Amino acid sequence: MNVKRLLERVPADREAEDRVWAIVRAAYAEREHVRVRPRRRLMLVAVALAVAVGAAALSPPGRAVVDAVRRTIGISHAAPALFRLPAPGRLLVSGGGGTWVVSPDGSKRRLGGYAQAAWSPHGLYVIAATANELAAVEPSDGAVRWSLARPKVAFPRWGGSRTDTRVAYLSDGRLRVVAGDGTGDAAIGGNSRVAPAWRPGDRRQLAFVTSDGRVELLGAWRSSRRYADPRSLVWSPDGKSLLLVTARQLVLFAPASGHARALPLRGVTAASFSRHGQLAIVRRNAVLLFDGEEARTVFSTRGRLRGLEWSPNGSWLLTTLPAADQWIFVGGRRVLAVSHITRQFGGAATLDGWVSGPYPG
Amino acid sequence: MGLIAQLPANAIVGTTAYRRPEVDRRETALVRDAQRGSDRALEQLFRLHWPRAYRAALLVVDDAAAAEDIAQESFLAAVRALDRFDRRRPFGPWLHRIVVNRAIDWSRARTLRRELGGTALPEPATPVRESGEHAEDIAAALAELGAEHRAVIVLRYLLDYTPGEIAELLGLPRGTVNSRLRRGLDRLEEVLQ
Repeated sequence: MNVKRLLERVPADREAEDRVWAIVRAAYAEREHVRVRPRRRLMLVAVALAVAVGAAALSPPGRAVVDAVRRTIGISHAAPALFRLPAPGRLLVSGGGGTWVVSPDGSKRRLGGYAQAAWSPHGLYVIAATANELAAVEPSDGAVRWSLARPKVAFPRWGGSRTDTRVAYLSDGRLRVVAGDGTGDAAIGGNSRVAPAWRPGDRRQLAFVTSDGRVELLGAWRSSRRYADPRSLVWSPDGKSLLLVTARQLVLFAPASGHARALPLRGVTAASFSRHGQLAIVRRNAVLLFDGEEARTVFSTRGRLRGLEWSPNGSWLLTTLPAADQWIFVGGRRVLAVSHITRQFGGAATLDGWVSGPYPG
Repeated sequence: MGLIAQLPANAIVGTTAYRRPEVDRRETALVRDAQRGSDRALEQLFRLHWPRAYRAALLVVDDAAAAEDIAQESFLAAVRALDRFDRRRPFGPWLHRIVVNRAIDWSRARTLRRELGGTALPEPATPVRESGEHAEDIAAALAELGAEHRAVIVLRYLLDYTPGEIAELLGLPRGTVNSRLRRGLDRLEEVLQ
């Protein structure tokens, strides 16, 4: 028996080799220079405007105007509080009041003062971010399993297999990945402006948008075209399709073949696939279902909608109507609205994910 | 903690394990060029050592995704330490030592990284099981041994370390290394015959 020869017959994964080379090459380039991008003047103007509007809304006359707007554009007969979720599963939200987990019976648990959060692949943990910290926390009580201090943390996303997981996030605009136990943190790519997206399934493959607007599946594939104003990346549940949302269009990629299909829909701000692969989008003031050929409106209102999540069983969609301080659940022809969101969550709350299952243990 | 993690930041890194002069000359040139900033030299160094590094990790941890990560982290550690690497020493054994130690550490800490609790979860299938008959058999036979036993087999028969070097590397008595090698070989023979 020639053990050496047998051991050398174990195949060395070529795809993995290319993926890892891309990361090693990036680390090698990074050790030679650190580039600092100047902040955009436009961003400062936007921040100043947001502060001015916020200040106006907090003053008594300003608040009166906001309340009037809410009464005008909100859904009438909305429930005054979130008494229950219309479908099983746990909902994760973050915002001015921190990060919360909502149970089907409407009970809420505050996990901490985080600004953004996401579920782990099987909903057992939450990865959450403050301005300068990334933390893995227990969804049952907010206990911190590990944390990592990094500057300007944004868009944490947790992916991986049942036995080994990874968290991707942006720090100061640069893409980084850390193991699910908080070890091995490393920069793996260049700058990015939208949330990275882990491909569903056991193989950990990360999609992200490069600083020049290309879509890249780390170490495996990169779009030849550049896309202006990217907003988000979303995988289909079978991992075969990757959707890029931009200000002007949707682009559906099939990374296996390199094929890209552009859908000229302007003004899309959010997209979500159901567990069955049904694509829903939020476009200005409407929620639409997309069947591959055309989009069909399933709900519309007078205010701008923001955010979109499918219930884990694929029967309800949840979006928010910030101007009316409402959440809106759309299930077939049924529409359920809940008011006073900021009061219940201590501030405006964005949707971070709706996962199946009760608390573990 | 892996051995590399115990090294001081300014340590000269390297190892005295196996030397193959014809490989060393090429490696030395590649390391020198990579230290000077040659992307191409670094890629050649990477491609040269990827198969052994990945195989070693895979055979120790028996998990393809973890093996990829371990090999990746080892190469990243190598890149970070590249500037202070002593070119008089061979690069390959130094890298492989990082890989094997990380693989052992990973195996010990496996439960910490599980998202689900450690109860009755089947081990994930790996590409090893899907490929050639012999590779499948030997991986299955190795999987029945503990991570430290697997590491000894991998160090001896895949990476060509002597039992004395393995003992030094893993901090084990030489007799323990020999007994693990014997037991590992017996098990492999049982399965493969």
